[in-house]
Amino acid sequence: MAFYEVYSHPALLRYKTSVCTKATVFVVVVLCLTYIPPLLVAYRSQGFWIKRSTYEEQPVVRFQYQTLLVAATSPQGDYVAWSTFPYLNNMLGANLRIPSISVREEDQNQDGKLDFLTLQLQLPLKPEEQVYSVQLLLTFSYQLFRMSTVVMQSLAYVQHSSSVPGAKLFISGDLRLQQRTPLPHRGLYNIYNVSVIDGSSPFASAYDLDNIIGSYQDRNLTTVLSCPMPVWTVGRAAGSPFQLNAEIRYPIEVISYRPGFWETIKFAWIQYVSVLLIFLWVFERIQRFVFQNQVLTTVPIPVGKPHLS
Amino acid sequence: MAASAVAFWHTSSLFSLFLLFPVVTANENTTSYNFNTTVFGEQNVTFNFTDNYTTTPPTEFDSTTPTPSSSSTDEPVQPTLPTEPLPVSGRLLTPVTSVDRLCPCDEHKDVCDINCCCDRECNEEVALFTGCSVDAVSSGNKQLCSRDVASYALRTTIDGYSELQSSIQKETNYDILCIQTQNRVDGFSHPSPALPTDSNFDSLFKQFTSFLFGSEENSGQASTAELQASSGYQYGDVMVTAGVSGQRGMFWLPAPSVTADCMDSSPAAFLKDQSSRCSRNVVLEQDCSTLLALSMGTYTSIQLFAGKNKDAAVVPVEVASVVLQSVDGTQTELQISGGENLSPALLNPTLCANVVLKVAYVIKYNPAGEIVNVAVSLVLGFFSEAALPLEQEFHITFIQENVGEVAIHYSGNPGYVVGLPLVSASRTADGIVRSIDPRDTLSLLHSAEDQDCLQGPQQRSPVLFGLDSVSGCTLRLEDAANCSLVFQVLLDVLRGPNYPQYVASFGNSPLDYPLDWVPIKNDFSPGESCSIPLSLHLEIEWTKYGSLVNPQAQIVSIKEVIQTNTTSLEMLTGGSSVLSISSSVAFIPVSAAALPGYRAMPTIDAKLPFDFFFPFV
Repeated sequence: MAFYEVYSHPALLRYKTSVCTKATVFVVVVLCLTYIPPLLVAYRSQGFWIKRSTYEEQPVVRFQYQTLLVAATSPQGDYVAWSTFPYLNNMLGANLRIPSISVREEDQNQDGKLDFLTLQLQLPLKPEEQVYSVQLLLTFSYQLFRMSTVVMQSLAYVQHSSSVPGAKLFISGDLRLQQRTPLPHRGLYNIYNVSVIDGSSPFASAYDLDNIIGSYQDRNLTTVLSCPMPVWTVGRAAGSPFQLNAEIRYPIEVISYRPGFWETIKFAWIQYVSVLLIFLWVFERIQRFVFQNQVLTTVPIPVGKPHLS
Repeated sequence: MAASAVAFWHTSSLFSLFLLFPVVTANENTTSYNFNTTVFGEQNVTFNFTDNYTTTPPTEFDSTTPTPSSSSTDEPVQPTLPTEPLPVSGRLLTPVTSVDRLCPCDEHKDVCDINCCCDRECNEEVALFTGCSVDAVSSGNKQLCSRDVASYALRTTIDGYSELQSSIQKETNYDILCIQTQNRVDGFSHPSPALPTDSNFDSLFKQFTSFLFGSEENSGQASTAELQASSGYQYGDVMVTAGVSGQRGMFWLPAPSVTADCMDSSPAAFLKDQSSRCSRNVVLEQDCSTLLALSMGTYTSIQLFAGKNKDAAVVPVEVASVVLQSVDGTQTELQISGGENLSPALLNPTLCANVVLKVAYVIKYNPAGEIVNVAVSLVLGFFSEAALPLEQEFHITFIQENVGEVAIHYSGNPGYVVGLPLVSASRTADGIVRSIDPRDTLSLLHSAEDQDCLQGPQQRSPVLFGLDSVSGCTLRLEDAANCSLVFQVLLDVLRGPNYPQYVASFGNSPLDYPLDWVPIKNDFSPGESCSIPLSLHLEIEWTKYGSLVNPQAQIVSIKEVIQTNTTSLEMLTGGSSVLSISSSVAFIPVSAAALPGYRAMPTIDAKLPFDFFFPFV
């Protein structure tokens, strides 16, 4: 008759000792060595506390219908300009040239967030004028909601110049978010919800592009129109207007933020415990060896059912 | 009159997106559209549609047959606005859902649309079709388990013509999770919008039109008529001028804006010191005597209101000084006797005289915000056709009444502020003396266009604290023949006029504390042989002084290093016969590294890294 293992159970061996013994010291040392070194290992191997994390979100962008256009019409520096700011238009005087603009913002995937802006601008020109350079400034309202609520007003700036007079400028680009420091993980972040261009100011310095761009670039959060390939078409027919066609997409952005307390703890905990498991296993084996072989003197309690008295 | 209002319903198959196109014809002759091939110029197309909407929209909508439900609109409807809803909005229409009625490509009313197979007007024309622009029209959402699809196809007959085959099929969705029945009808359509009425129109308008063209609140009206309770101006206010006949205007100070061109109608702000340079493109012959911006009278014949209110006193602009600048740039002050004619005049076809080159206003105000006195200094000069565009310079400064003639400008309090000029002085018998003009200080050569060290009046720029800079000029070898003379001239050029001996260690060092003034060290002794200075270098050592939170910059030593040539000049130039002479300044921080003494963070003695307990502390 062959035997087989029909059942098994682990038996708990107890070793007893008093407080002031080598065994007590050993156990305390082992405990310290088990639980503290994993923390050091996890920390020294970098990335223990996560300080920056990212998420994806498509921003809610609206064109604010504020525009500033400057076009150089001769190599000598004659220019025409136009803006949606009445004070600036008044100041421009004879250099004011009102273009015709049509704008459409479109939600292509029907998710309630606009994806796309098409802007068509036709700048009428006098017979002696040619367009050599174009500066166009558009303002947007930009909002993010997923982690911290970001509400800001931002800018897209297009500048293109050529030595050859143009008939058309085509711009197709993305309105990208640029951030210097991560966003907070919650709360309202609206310190940049101020006008990029102060349209209520009657002073010329308020419309100085140096000032506008300079103070805008000071910000932590900005948007920039990334258009690596502007298309400058030459050969304008006499009498036809200069055309500027822009397609600006509002893509999904990867936004970095500073994780909150519990997110930081969660990732640190995972790292700590995964290293701790190894240490627990190793020191368990060491302890078993020490106590089983009586390296340190202890009083083992014999296995067996204690007598019911 | 066959004016009629016809509404076409187009339903897109997928999203049930409904768009309303009210096409309104007002005159008989426009009932047949002009399909001539006349190409209109874009500029002269005129539209004469009148907006006659009917208040009773058709109850049932069909894509092909117009409903004859339009009311007779011979006389234009004068909408007597009912309380609700607004006449144009009317009732909301129920969407068409039967598949055989949907036809997205039917764009011409009562006319067959070519290759539009679902167009009901095309009976005979179908034979000429080559394909169907829309071959399937479906109703309902793709997620439904079954839906009706009208499909259109063309078949070619034996004689070569096309024949339409249309069928309506039930398309079954074999997805496991499909919608069998749909008891929420609006689940797949856009929520019905709120009907605009008299009462909610404004709120609806605000809700849906956040940004639009022409939404600027201010229409650019000059706010001169604004009268406020306080009589005086406040910081940033636009100053008001009085015209000849008493009308109120704004005090303009030309400034550059989107380009470097002068914007004449930019106002000056009260208490905002401003200095601007801008250029002006003028046609010399035309504009010399006519352009107002060039003539002195434009800037001097201004009368300002002392305050903002109407009965404020009128302060005329006084001419403090007029400086005439000659063609080569030398300036002489004109004794104003009132007799001269200083308006711009064309001397010859390429030269215009008495043109305003620089305008500086000094406005004195009192603590109530009233203007007490306005003085203007002008520089008049020539400009020639070669020097176009003309550059003009405008300054405005505000000084308070009864605080001395001009307040002394400090360059820091007490430590130097980066970007402000060094304070320098020289020693006389009475002690240490400094100029009151903050720009009259230790200065560097400013590079000019002719680059010649020995030519003309040299432009200089003051040494600004904290900014290392370099500039220079060139010396031609043939000019350096008399080297002892050239040596002295070059030294003067490099050092500038009124070369000081002392520099204040702090930005506000008082003159009667001689220990606060650092002498400019100079270990230069002119060599015995013929040597000329090749460079002048100022080495300024400064340190941070005081508390860690608010350290003050203090100059501890300043040294002038003059380098002269040790070999012959011909060797140095390398045969090009032009020698470059440079002047430079360097600011060297010599402060000891700041030790955070009192604001030490609580340290953990276990030598843990600072962010070991990052989210906790």
